[in-house]
Amino acid sequence: MADSVPQIPGRVVAVAEHREGVVSPVTWELVSCGRQLAQTQGLEFCLLVLEGQNQNLGLEAAQYCGERVIAVKVPGLETFHGEAQRLILGDVLATMGAMAVIGAHTTSGMEWAPGLAVSLSAVFIAGVEACESAEGQVTLVRACHHGKLWEKLRPIAERLVLSVQPGAFEAAVPAKDSTPVLEVIEKEYPTCRTEVEPPFTMVKHDAALGRAQVIVAAGRGVGGPANIALLRELAALFANSALAGSRPVCDYGWLGFQKQVGLTGATVSPRLYIACGISGAPQHIIGMRGADVIVSINSDPEAPIHKISDVAVIEDLTTFIKAFMKLTVE
Amino acid sequence: MFMRILVMIKQVCEPQSLFELADGRIVLSPATRFQLNTYDEYALEAALSLASGAQGEVTALTIGPANAQAVLTRAAGMGAKKCVHLLWEAEAPPSPIQVAALAADWIPGQEFELILTGVMSQDSMNGAVGPMLAALLDLPLATSVVELEAGPGAQGIRAVREMEGGHRQFIKLPTPCLLTIQSSVNQPRYPTLSNLLRAKANPPQVIEASSRNLPPSEVLHLGADFPESSRAGLVLPGSTEEKAAALLRFLQERAFL
Repeated sequence: MADSVPQIPGRVVAVAEHREGVVSPVTWELVSCGRQLAQTQGLEFCLLVLEGQNQNLGLEAAQYCGERVIAVKVPGLETFHGEAQRLILGDVLATMGAMAVIGAHTTSGMEWAPGLAVSLSAVFIAGVEACESAEGQVTLVRACHHGKLWEKLRPIAERLVLSVQPGAFEAAVPAKDSTPVLEVIEKEYPTCRTEVEPPFTMVKHDAALGRAQVIVAAGRGVGGPANIALLRELAALFANSALAGSRPVCDYGWLGFQKQVGLTGATVSPRLYIACGISGAPQHIIGMRGADVIVSINSDPEAPIHKISDVAVIEDLTTFIKAFMKLTVE
Repeated sequence: MFMRILVMIKQVCEPQSLFELADGRIVLSPATRFQLNTYDEYALEAALSLASGAQGEVTALTIGPANAQAVLTRAAGMGAKKCVHLLWEAEAPPSPIQVAALAADWIPGQEFELILTGVMSQDSMNGAVGPMLAALLDLPLATSVVELEAGPGAQGIRAVREMEGGHRQFIKLPTPCLLTIQSSVNQPRYPTLSNLLRAKANPPQVIEASSRNLPPSEVLHLGADFPESSRAGLVLPGSTEEKAAALLRFLQERAFL
């Protein structure tokens, strides 16, 4: 094991996420984004895994994706600690010649990525959904205004730190016959001012959400708890159905947090998802884009949910559902 | 026990605003209404409840054009004692690093024990200003905070961070520190008339942003677009009843009903 950092000029580095000793699936999406960026820029790509002394996540990642992986082993860093991660990355990457650093646009990634950009004097671009390239120039696409608009940005700095929206890039497939390369470097746990405890499970998702063939989901547009009852009736029309909600609906207490679908809630993939009064912010779409059929009902014709639905109904929710229920009774 | 808290707030257009594009530039209709960024409202509420327990004082800071002063009035109405407006007159809005740098340029000497921001702004959705400001000021940071309280003997802050998929994490920070506040942390209070009247007598301190040190944005905005449909996106035509009938047929054809 070497303590020195391998010197390769101009690398694209993705930073793995893991929890409870398992590499998080979003890591393979970061690998896809990183490969793409590295290819278009003619740079090398590698995956960085920060892990505890006795973890083997770096090796597992290298065997899975067949990429060059650098495992940074830090005694005590079995679980996520934002401050420690930022300090170690700052230390390792500054000497590594990283041109682009890719993290996930998750609560973990956002704890270190913007601050790392400051310490590396890099430009930071958040929530990247796509990466385009023309004539050697990189264009990054990201959502803004609740996903109603996408903006295209071009970084004009020497170094770049990105946070990539989960679900935006296809996950890298397992490698078949490439030779994984693993390098291991060791670092001390840095002196930190914050103290963290291992993550705990706060909200157990309603198991019915995972089993349901049909999910009727309520968004801010339902207007109030009274209309939740209406959606419950709508859900009851379908066999094997469940009621779910977006984050605002759970924040307001109209539905329990165990019913929340999205980045900070459950990820579901039913046969049919009926989005009622849901605008379709990226944080919600991440949790339901895998549904076979999506129906969106929203009075706002510009609501981004209509862009990912198979059938869009632009109508007042209450009026429409009442009309729909009336027809089914007839 | 005296807690001086700064809350960074931002004016955003209402989520239901309609947008037009002209040569890839986002154009807001003249009828667009603006509001205080919802996440900043949660941050203000968190600051006001912490300060009231500690006989503290909340300052609200915004960086934006002249009409953004409305969010400071709202903050004052909610109970912020001091309001500061870093007036940004350039046409292009400041980038996250520019906002963080302007704040980092003004904050030293103010002796804040705690700085709060919303977890992100509803319009640009970066979530970067808080973490960047913490890095510039070298302050301990916690993002996506859903619970917070002063530590025992008012030493530091104990907070709970939200993570993906229903997970959370306890974090302890010494003060001064910076937290970004996620929604659901509390129920933001409404402005009161007495606070609003007091605010009228004490207008915000206005500082020209152009007079401060400002880093370049280092990002070129190449333009905006409406997202492309990733599925069929069949918009049902007709009256309410016709749409209901069409949806029923669609679902029956696929054996959902």
